[in-house]
Amino acid sequence: MGDAKAAGAMADTFPKLLIENARRFGDRPAIREKDLGIWQAWTWQQVHDEIAAMAAGLRQYGFQRGDSLAIVGDNRPQLYWAMTAAQALGGTPVPMYQDAVAEEMQFVLEHAEASFAIVEDQEQTDKLLEVMDRCPKLKEIVYKDTRGMRHYDQPFVRSLDSLMEAGRAFLADNPGWFEAEAAKGKGSDIGIMVYTSGTTGRAKGVMLSFDNLIITAHNGVLWDGLNENDEVMAYLPMAWVGDNIFSYGQSYVAGFCVSCPESSDTVMTDLKEIGPTYFFAPPRIFETILTQVSIRMDDASKFNQWLYKKFMDIALRVGPDILDGRPVSFVDRALYALGELLVYGPLKNELGFSRFRLAYTAGEAIGPDIFDFFRSLGVNIKQLYGSTEASVFICMQKDGDIKPDTVGPPALDVELKIADNGEVLFRSPGVFVAYYKNDEATKSTKTDDGWVMTGDAGFFDADGHLKIIDRAKDVGKLNDGTMFAPKYLENKLKFFPYITEAVAFGHEKDHAAAFINIDLEAVGNWAERRGLAYSGYTDLAMRDEVYDLIAECVDKVNRDLSEDAALSGSQIRRFLILHKLLDADDGELTRTRKVRRNTVAERYGELIDALYSGIDVCPVEASVTFEDGRTGTIKADVKIREAQIFPSQQAQAAE
Amino acid sequence: MLFFIETVISGLMAGVMYSLVALGFVLIFKASGIFNFAQGVFALFAGLALYDFISPDGWFYELFGFVLPAWLGIIATMGVMVIVAWLVEFLVLRHLVNQEPIILFMSTIGLAYFLEGLGDTLFGSDVKPLNLGLPSGAWDYLLDTHNLYVEKLEVVAAVVAAVLVTVLAIFFQKTRIGRALRAVADDHQAALSVGISLRTIWVIVWSVSGFVALVAGIMWGSKSGIQFSLSLIALKALPVLILGGFTSVPGAIVGGLIIGVGEKVAEVYAGPFVGGAIENWFAYMLALVFLLVRPQGLFGEKIIERV
Amino acid sequence: MAYERNIGDTLLAVDQISLSFGGVKALSNISFSVNEHEVFAIIGPNGAGKSSMLNCINGFYHPQEGTITFKGKTRRQVRPSEAAREGIARTFQNIALFKGMTTLDNIMTGRNTKMTKGIFWQALRFGPAEKEEMEHRAVVEKVIDFLEIEAIRKTAVGTLPYGLQKRVELGRALAAEPDLLLLDEPMAGMNLEEKQDMCRFILDVNDEFGTTIVLIEHDMGVVMDISDRVVVLDYGKKLAEGTPDQVRTNQTVIDAYLGVAHDDEDE
Repeated sequence: MGDAKAAGAMADTFPKLLIENARRFGDRPAIREKDLGIWQAWTWQQVHDEIAAMAAGLRQYGFQRGDSLAIVGDNRPQLYWAMTAAQALGGTPVPMYQDAVAEEMQFVLEHAEASFAIVEDQEQTDKLLEVMDRCPKLKEIVYKDTRGMRHYDQPFVRSLDSLMEAGRAFLADNPGWFEAEAAKGKGSDIGIMVYTSGTTGRAKGVMLSFDNLIITAHNGVLWDGLNENDEVMAYLPMAWVGDNIFSYGQSYVAGFCVSCPESSDTVMTDLKEIGPTYFFAPPRIFETILTQVSIRMDDASKFNQWLYKKFMDIALRVGPDILDGRPVSFVDRALYALGELLVYGPLKNELGFSRFRLAYTAGEAIGPDIFDFFRSLGVNIKQLYGSTEASVFICMQKDGDIKPDTVGPPALDVELKIADNGEVLFRSPGVFVAYYKNDEATKSTKTDDGWVMTGDAGFFDADGHLKIIDRAKDVGKLNDGTMFAPKYLENKLKFFPYITEAVAFGHEKDHAAAFINIDLEAVGNWAERRGLAYSGYTDLAMRDEVYDLIAECVDKVNRDLSEDAALSGSQIRRFLILHKLLDADDGELTRTRKVRRNTVAERYGELIDALYSGIDVCPVEASVTFEDGRTGTIKADVKIREAQIFPSQQAQAAE
Repeated sequence: MLFFIETVISGLMAGVMYSLVALGFVLIFKASGIFNFAQGVFALFAGLALYDFISPDGWFYELFGFVLPAWLGIIATMGVMVIVAWLVEFLVLRHLVNQEPIILFMSTIGLAYFLEGLGDTLFGSDVKPLNLGLPSGAWDYLLDTHNLYVEKLEVVAAVVAAVLVTVLAIFFQKTRIGRALRAVADDHQAALSVGISLRTIWVIVWSVSGFVALVAGIMWGSKSGIQFSLSLIALKALPVLILGGFTSVPGAIVGGLIIGVGEKVAEVYAGPFVGGAIENWFAYMLALVFLLVRPQGLFGEKIIERV
Repeated sequence: MAYERNIGDTLLAVDQISLSFGGVKALSNISFSVNEHEVFAIIGPNGAGKSSMLNCINGFYHPQEGTITFKGKTRRQVRPSEAAREGIARTFQNIALFKGMTTLDNIMTGRNTKMTKGIFWQALRFGPAEKEEMEHRAVVEKVIDFLEIEAIRKTAVGTLPYGLQKRVELGRALAAEPDLLLLDEPMAGMNLEEKQDMCRFILDVNDEFGTTIVLIEHDMGVVMDISDRVVVLDYGKKLAEGTPDQVRTNQTVIDAYLGVAHDDEDE
C-alpha cells in the first residue's frame, strides 16, 4: 500500500503530469504517428506546447470549465492531446467509438451533454452534423483532417489548425496561462468519461477521476516495472477504457512513447516497424495471428515446415518453463537457443513481437493452445481481469506465476471478495466515481462502502489466483448446494479439438451431466488413422471407440475440476454424445452459434431424463432439417456413459 | 579433395563468365521481350574495338599515330557500344514495333552475323591477346598456404561480376530509369501513358547490355585472347538462361555458376567413363532436364494473371 | 451535383477529329471542348468511339483529320510521352498496371516526367538522383494517403483485388499532377461500395487539386451525378453535348442510347 502513497506524491492530474514530463523527459519522444509513410515523433516538450496551444484555442472558441468534449476518430496524437487540453480547462473528455453510426453517437453526445467535439475527419464530421439538431448542447465541431472540408461553410465547423493558431496567438500574449489553468485541477476531479455498452439497456457513462486513473495506471507501472524506455502501439479504440490506461494514463505516468498506426489496415506492418515492448490485445487478435502463422506455414516449403514443426515441439515442451524461470535441462536449453535463432526469432520479428517484454490479453478466456503457443515462443503473454468501473485492473498475472486458466491474483491495492452467489466484488483506488446521470445504476453496482459488483462469478484457486467461470446470473446450484457453472464446464470441454459443442446440466439436479457434439473433422481424422470405418456423423458418434475417446476428455476435465474446492462437486458424472449436431437451422443454436439452452432442454427432454436415471441406452428420434429444406427424422440408440470422478484434492490435502 | 576443390573453383570461374554473358541477355529480354542472339557477338565486337583502341596494330594507331591508355580505351569502347545500341534502335527496332517475338529474334540473328562480318572486315580474324595489365598467373598466397591453384584473373573476374550485379540490381530496383525499364517490360501502353519514351528506354537498355558485353569481352579476352569463338558463348548462355529463368538477374548468375561447376566436375569425374567431351553437351542436357521439370527456371517469374 | 467551382477557360479543344482504321471510320468530325476544372463525360454505346477519342487525346492514335488544342497549343499528332509531359495522365479500361511491381513503384512511375536527373547519377543512385528520389517519394506518399492505400504500399499489384488495382492505377495518374486526367471506365466491374469510393475520389481530385477530368463511363447514374457536361457519341458521330439535364431530355439521345441503356449496363 506504500506504493499508493508514492503515487500520491506525484502530480495528481494529467495536465500536471504533462508539465512534469516536459521537464523530466523534455527531449524524449512522447508520441509517434506514421504519416505519409514516415514516422513523425513529438517529444514531451513538443506535446506540452501543442496541448497548451490546443487548450488555449478551445478557450478562445468558448470552451468553459465543466464542459464536455467529445472526441471521435482513430488513434491520433491530436485526439490524445485533446483529452489533456480539455482536462487542463477543467472539462471532461468523452472519447467515443469511431465506427459507431450517427444514431449511436447521438445518444452519447446528448447524454454526456458535449458542447464541443474534436473529430478526425470529414466522415466523422458528417455523422455529427447529421444528428446535430437533436443534440442542442453541441455548439462547435473541430476537425483535424482538412481533406474534403473546404465547402463546409457552417460557422461552427472549424479546422483544428485554425483553433491551434488562435491558441498560439493567445499563448504568446499570456505566457504561463496553461500552467495556471492546469494548477486549478485536482485529483478528485473527473478526468475522463467513457461509455460502456453493457449487455442490457442503454450505454452508461462511467465517470473516472484523475485519482482513479493515475493511481491505477501507476500501480500497473509498478507491477510490471514499466519505464520511459517502453514502447506501446495505440491501435484499440480510444473509447475503450483499456486504451485510456495503456496508451494514455500509463504513458503519462511512466513517460513512455505511444505510437499511432498509419491506418487500421496497417497495424501489423506498423507493429513490425515500431517493435513495441508492452502490448495489449484481446484473445481473438492472438487467435487471428496464430491462424495466419499456420496458413503461411502450410504454404512454406517442405523443409521449412519440417523445421517449424520440430522446433515448435521443443518450444511447446520447454518454452514456457524457460520463460517462467523454471529449471530446464542443458540440452533442452541449447535446443531452444538454436530454435530461437532459426525459428522463434525470425517468426517473432515477422509479427513485430521481437521486443515484447510483456503482453496482456483480457476480455474473454483465451484458448490454452493459443496461450501456450505464444508463451512457448518466449512471448510473455499474461492475462488480466478488469472492467471499466475499476479503471481496468482488478486481477493480473505476475511474471513467473502464470496459469492459462486463471486471471492471476488481485492487482496492487485491489481488495477482492466472493459473494455467496459466487459473484466477484472488488474495491480499489480505481473504483469509478459514479455513472453519469444514472444514480439507480450506480446504486445497484456500487455499495456505499465502495465495493463494486462485477456481475461475474468466480473463485480463488489454491494459489490465490482468481478464476472467472461465468456470468453470475448464469451460475446455478446442484441440489447439495455446490456451485454449478455450466459455461465454464462447456468451455473446458470445447477446448478439446474433438469436441465442437457441449451442453452441461446440473442446476437443481443431483449431479452435473453433459451432452456432447463431436467435431466431425477432428474425430473423423482420428478414426481414419485407426482404420475405423463410419458412414456419417450419427454412426461415428455412436461408436464405442469414440465414446472412449470422449470419456478421456471428460475425465481430464473432471480431474481439473477436482483441483478446485469450489468446483470439485460439479464434476460431470454422466455424459452422452448426441446423435446429431446441434444446428442453427433447427433452432438449437443462435446464428452466432450460442446454444439455446431451453430449446435443447425441451427437445431432448428424454435424454436429460436418461442422464439422471440409471439406464445406459436411450432410443431417440430427432427431426432434422436437410440442406434442401426438407425435414426428416433420425433414429438412434444413444448410449450414456459414466465418467470417472476424482476426489477433491484440497479436501485430501486437508485430511 | 584438394583436386576436387580446384575443379570446383575453376568451374565457378568459368561460370562467372557464362553469367556475364547471360546477364546481357536477361537485361534486354526483361526490358523488351527480345531474345538477343547477338549478345555473344556484342562481347566479341566490344573486345575487338577495345583491342583496336589500345594496341599498336589497330586502325586507331594507323589513323592517329598513338594508342589510348587502357582506361580511356574502355570509355571509348563504351561510346562505341552506345552508338551500336542507338543504331540498332534507329535502324532495326523502330521499324519492328509490335511485331511477333520470332521476327525480332530473327532480326537479332541477322544483327549477329552482320556484326561478326563487320568485326572481321574491320579488325581481321586473328586471335588478339588483350593485355590490360590485369593480374595474371596463380594466386601465390593460396598456392603456398593451401596448395590450391587459383588464377588471379579469375578472382578479379568474380569480383568485377559481383560489383556489376550489385550496381545493376540497385539501378533496376531503386531508380527512375530502372523503374521505367521494368515498366516497359511489364506493359508498353501503360509505360507510354506515364510519359516513358520507348525509344529512349531501348537505347538505354541496349547500351547497358553493351556495357555488360564489354565487361564479358574484357574478361574472356584477357584469359584466352579475343577470337571469333567468343561469339559462340552466346550458345552456352542459352542453357544458363533456361536454368536461371529468362527474366531473373540473380537467376543468370546462379545458373551460370551451376553450369560452370557442373560441366567441369562432370568432365573431370565422369568424363573418363564416357570418353570425355562432356563439357560440350553437359549444359544442354541439364537445360533439357530443367525444361521438363521446371520450365520457368530457378528464379523465373510464375506469371500471375488475374481476370 | 458537385459543389460550385470556378470553371475556367477552355483547356482542351477537339476540332473536327476524324479517325479510321483501314477504311473503317472510328470517329468522324468530332468536335467538343473541355473547360478548366470541369468534369466532362463521354458516353455512348459500345463501339461508339469513346476509347478511340481518349486515345487520340493522349497520342496513342493519330487522327487523320482535325486538330487537338491543349493548353493553347494546337497539333494534329502528338507522341504519348509528349502528351504526358504536357500534363495529360490517364487510366485504362482494362487496368494497365505494371503487375510485377509494388504499388509504390507503380505510382512512382507516374512521376517519370517530373524526374530529370541523368542516367549517370541514376546508375549509382547517388547524389542528386538520391535527393530527387526522396522528393518525389514524398509526393507519391501524399497520393497514397489520398487514396487510402497505405496498407498495400509494398504489395505487388498483380496480387491485389480488382477494385484496389483500379485505385492504384488512378494513383499512378495522379502522381503526375496532371492538368487533364483521362479516365476510361473508372468504375467498370466494381461493386456498389467500390463505385461510391471511386466517385468520391474523382470528385475529391477535381475539388482539391482543380484537376480537369474527362471520363468514359457506362453507369448512367454515376455520369449524371458527377459530370458538369456530357458529350454523347454514337457510331463515331457526335449526337449531343450539354449538361446532364440537357442530354437526358435530348430526343436524339433518348432514341439512340438512353432508351437501350438497360441492355447495356452490365457490360
